[in-house]
This record gives sequence, C-alpha cells and structure tokens, in this order.
Amino acid sequence: MKSNWLNTNTFHHSEFKEIELLVKKKEKKNLTISLCLPTLNEEKTIAKEIIIMKSELMTRFPLIDEIVVVDSGSSDNTLDIAQSYGAEIYEASNILPHLKESTGKGENLWKALYITKGDIIIYLDADIKNIHHRFAYALLGPLLLNDKIKYTKAFYDRPISTDQQKIRATGGGRVTELIIRPLFSLFFPELTQIIQPLSGEYAGFRDLFEKIPFPIGYGVETSMILDIYEKWGIDVMAQVDLDRRVHRNQDTKALGRMSFVILKTFLNRIEGLEKIKLNTDLFNEMIQYKQTSGEYQADIYKIKDHERPPMITVPEYCEKFNRHL
Amino acid sequence: MNTRMDAILKKLPSFVDQIKSIKEVIISNIVLIGQTPAPTFHEEARTEIFLERLSDAQADYCSTDDYNNPIGIILGKSGGAKPPIFVVAHMDTFFNADLGHNYVIRKNSITGPGILDNSLGIGVLASMPIILRKLKLAFESDIVLAGVTQSIGTGNLQGIRRLLNTWDDPIRGAVIIEGADLGRLSYYSEGIIRGEITCNVSVPEDGEHRYKHNAILILNEVIDEILAMELPQRPRARVIIGKFNGGFKHGVIALNARLGFEIQSNSDDMVKRMYHEMMDIVEGIGHEHRVDLKLNIISNLYPATLKYKHPLVKSTVAIMKRLGLKPASHSSESELSVFLTQNIPAVTLGITDGKNVHVEQATMKIDPMFTGIAQIIGTIMAIDSGVCDEK
Repeated sequence: MKSNWLNTNTFHHSEFKEIELLVKKKEKKNLTISLCLPTLNEEKTIAKEIIIMKSELMTRFPLIDEIVVVDSGSSDNTLDIAQSYGAEIYEASNILPHLKESTGKGENLWKALYITKGDIIIYLDADIKNIHHRFAYALLGPLLLNDKIKYTKAFYDRPISTDQQKIRATGGGRVTELIIRPLFSLFFPELTQIIQPLSGEYAGFRDLFEKIPFPIGYGVETSMILDIYEKWGIDVMAQVDLDRRVHRNQDTKALGRMSFVILKTFLNRIEGLEKIKLNTDLFNEMIQYKQTSGEYQADIYKIKDHERPPMITVPEYCEKFNRHL
Repeated sequence: MNTRMDAILKKLPSFVDQIKSIKEVIISNIVLIGQTPAPTFHEEARTEIFLERLSDAQADYCSTDDYNNPIGIILGKSGGAKPPIFVVAHMDTFFNADLGHNYVIRKNSITGPGILDNSLGIGVLASMPIILRKLKLAFESDIVLAGVTQSIGTGNLQGIRRLLNTWDDPIRGAVIIEGADLGRLSYYSEGIIRGEITCNVSVPEDGEHRYKHNAILILNEVIDEILAMELPQRPRARVIIGKFNGGFKHGVIALNARLGFEIQSNSDDMVKRMYHEMMDIVEGIGHEHRVDLKLNIISNLYPATLKYKHPLVKSTVAIMKRLGLKPASHSSESELSVFLTQNIPAVTLGITDGKNVHVEQATMKIDPMFTGIAQIIGTIMAIDSGVCDEK
C-alpha cells in the first residue's frame, strides 16, 4: 500500500469550526445542502438532532437548507415528534410508490435522493445520543473547502451507552475490526486507511450519490465505499474525526446478522469486479441458534438483499432533476 | 403601579410567542450546556461551553472572574450611569461526571440528569442575549449574566459569595433563575446551618471485639435525641435529616456512619441555639460510648428577607399574574440569600414545571418554559424601570 491518503485526507472537526467561512464558501459556489435523517423508531433521539441542527446550522448560520426525515415505518412517535420540530417528514413507502416496496436504511437513503433538493447531501444516523452540530458541519468542511473531495465519512471514539446510563470507556466497532478490515486488507489494502468504514454519518455531492447503487439494508455503507473507490478512486474521499459518538449497544447476535449482510454485499461486489469467482450461489438466510427449555432451536434471519440501481437510472428522478444518463 | 410598570405589563403576554419562535436556539443551549457534566468543584468543562455559547450569542463581554465564575455582560444605554442588574444561575449539579448526561427530548419534554437543577437555568441564561434581541429590548443598566460555580452542598455558595465580594460597585437588583417550578417566587431566605455528624468506631489494637459498638446504632441514638429537641412555634425552626450512609455489608457491624442535616429557622439566634443543643447531644453520646463522634459544619447562611410590600416583590407578583401564573412564595437558601444579606433586592424565579428534580430521570416541560422566560424578562424590565431604586 503506497497511498498517503490517511495523512492527506484525514481531518479533525475543529478544523472546520469557523462555520461562517463554510457558509461563505457554500454561497460562493452557489450550492444547496440537505440533511437527511433515516429513521426507524427513533423517538428518543430524533428531536435533539433536528433541534440542534436547525438552531445551529439553519437559524444561526444558514449552512443547511433543509432537514428531511425518511422513515421505514416507525411504530413509535418518531414522525410526529420530527414534524413538531419543523423537519420535513416522509415515509419511504410513499416515495416513488410504484416501485417494488422494500424497507431498510439503504432504501431510505436512496429515496432521499429523490425528495431532497441539495447539491450536497448529509446523511446522519438518527440514534446519536450526543449529537452536536459538528457532526454536520465537519463533514461539510472538506467538501466545501477542497474541490477534489466529493465524499466525506465520519470516525470517532465509540463509547457505548448502557441501560444504567453509564458510559464504558471502550467498545464498539466490532464488525469493522472482525469483518471489514480483514476483508479490505485482503482485497483493497488502500481502504484500510478508512478508520470507521461502517460509520453511519457521511456526506457527499448528489452527482456522486446518484451514480451508485444502494443496497437497501446494512450493506449500504460498505458498498458505497467500494463503488466510490472503484469509480473515482480514494482521493475523492476524506474522513473526519468527530471525537466521540454515543450510540446504542447492539448484542452479538444482531452484530452477527449485520456481518452476514455486509459479507454478502462484499462478496457480490468483488465477484462483480472479477476479483474472485464464486462457484456456488450464496444462501440468503443467516442461521443462529437459541436455547429454549433446554433445546437448541434455529433462529433464521432472512436477508433482504435487494439493491436499488443508481438513482440516475430512474426516469422520474431524471425528469425532476433534469438529468440525462 | 407606575405608568412604566403598566407599560411592561401590557407588553408581557406578547413576549411568550416571540420567545417560543426561537425555541430551537433556547433548547439547543439547554441541551448542549446541560449535557456537559458539572459536579460541584468540577465545573470547568461546563463553564467553557457556557462562555462559548454566550459569546456565540453575542454578549458584549464574556469572561470568567478570578473564581472561575463565567460572566457575560450586555451593555446598557446609560453607559454605566445606572448600576447593573444581575441575572444569576448556578452552574453545578448533583451528578458525577461519569454518569451519561445525554438528554432525551420529546414533543413537550426534556429528560436527563440535572435538567431542572440547573441546566435549564444555565441554558436560558446563555440564550438571554438572543432572546432580548428577538424582543428588541435594550436596558438602561448593564445586564450581568452570571453562571456561578460551587453553589450546591459543600460548595456553600462560594461562587456567588466571591463574585459579590469582589464586585466593588453598587448592584441595582438581581434575578436568580432556577429550573423549577414555574410560579415559584422566593424573596426570603431562612438562616441555616448545614452539617454532618460522623461516627467512627475504632478497632482495638489487640483485634476486634465480637460485640463492639455499631456506628449506625450510635447515630440512631443521635437522631432520637435530635427528634426529642423542643422547638418553638415562633420563631419557626426545624431540623431536617437529609442524608445517611454507613457500614460495609449486611453481616458486618458498621464501623463508620455519616448523617447529613440542616437546621433551618427565620431567626439566626434560634439556628445558633439549636446548633449548640445538637453539639451537646453529639458530645454527650460520643463521651458515653467512647467513640469518635463529630459534628462538622458544611455551610451556613444568615436569614434575610425582602418584605412582601417591597416594590420588587410587588412588581414580580404583578408580572406573574399578568402571565396567568399563581405566585407561590417559599424560602430559598441559595444565591438569593447572599444578595439579600448584602442589601441587594433580589428574587428567585422558576422557569417551568417538571418532575423528579433530583434524580437521573428528571423531566422538564417545554411549553411552560416560554412563560417562565417571559416573567424573567418582565422582572428585569421592572428593575430597569426603577422599582428597586425606591427607598
């Protein structure tokens, strides 16, 4: 691995704290910016994200032009709360409703391309407990200040919030270290420089997002990196240290299911790139086991491995945004 | 009421919706500051972010005094001819820094440690320059926005004491803001002595006795004797047993125990008399059992009061009623007493309603907050109109 990307394209959020400068750059370049929050039952955290972003990056500094929530069918009060604090809310199933219905985070991100207006789109997970406006402005910094950078990704310390509200000093990032980094090391050593490839906070230009496919589920972050890397190379990417992100803990079984989806996405991608040849079809079910009354029972998780094509191939999108293939 | 006060009362109801229109800014300040832990004596991180937010809000001066109290000043029109008005909220909380301070915001509530005591107060204080600009208000006096450190418990109000001791010039009046409850109007402080009684049972050099003294049972005797003290109806007086801890585990005799108490009375003589009586109890029981039993004072306050007929109190009552609030007066042993003992007219006001004030899941209501802020602004306007200047 010869790349010096880690040194040249890694930033700290404090480098972009002059928000006024970012606003000037945005205005000079005549850009609009959308913030998208994909949700599924996030009533405990959604309000805080909207309030802080709206207060700091819309009311005080006109950096963001719209906040859009795209929901996968929450059964709690996520949408009601989001609307009460002034976000535009959408149910993913009502966007491009004639398409075959799918649910998942990737689906929400993909459909957000159709309903947002911005030249730049920031995607933030909606479960961030210690949200701060740096999560948005720091991801925008490299995009606005460096003409070569088209996509930015967050990394951070990952304390885990437990039920007792105590913060553990270490933890998190297990899927990255056990699955992604070994795979990147095997096939794309240059990409190991991305500290947290699975982080759910990233931003980029619409021109870029509209040209890549979006898996509807957990695989979206992995595929996004691989697709951007293959199409435009690592130098259009940058990563930004956001210091600290407190998130929900996930149990090992949930991480196992996430790993399954990521592995499958990854294998499909590298087969498509002719880096490997699989001589068998991959199964679509993650089989885990649970013990009930002294007996082991299979707990089968059916994977939604549907993938949305690049948005620029959708006629309604091309018409709305005056795009041509 | 004078005509200036009438004009203030007339404007007040319209303030509520105007303040509500910038709710995101106010809530952001409450959350961003409140999520920064600030246990008493360790308020540095919160002080830093408070000053940052105050500076972002374009207060004219932002700094700390030599005791690390963060202070912002909004300059008045009189160029210093009128003494300043203080608006004060305490920075510290009861909660340790290792506790997650991440707040949960819902449609009409915010939940988390210290939200009502006193993240809400501090967040509103930091928002004050923005709120006043929104309301297009300017004052004759400078408005001093002071977040004061080392207020709670063993902090013993050191932050405000130091600030006022080093502030050489006259002060026109003060409003102390606390998170809860809306409708609270405090204009008098009782005299208090806050202290701890500790009991330590020493282990003999030749090993432990099977039936040695139990520190918890000894403190229990102390409590029994305190409860048997004869207290008068007038002046009002009471002893509150507020904290107790001791021992190691279920099957081991407790070798140490600690009791936290507060003597409260509207008569300083009564506070002292009760204190001496408790000292006698402690010395007597300690001597009798030959254990290390001590009474230590953590803090004390002199009783101080504004009369109900004081123009500041009357004006504040009128302001609260104009906003549909029912004033509920009770004693406040906080920054208020330090102002009053220095003959500076002051009141303490609560901002909103809530529940579970002193537990991790403390919850404040959002909607009443805008009325609570309007009453604070109204009270500052009243002071600026001269109600505290009357002799």
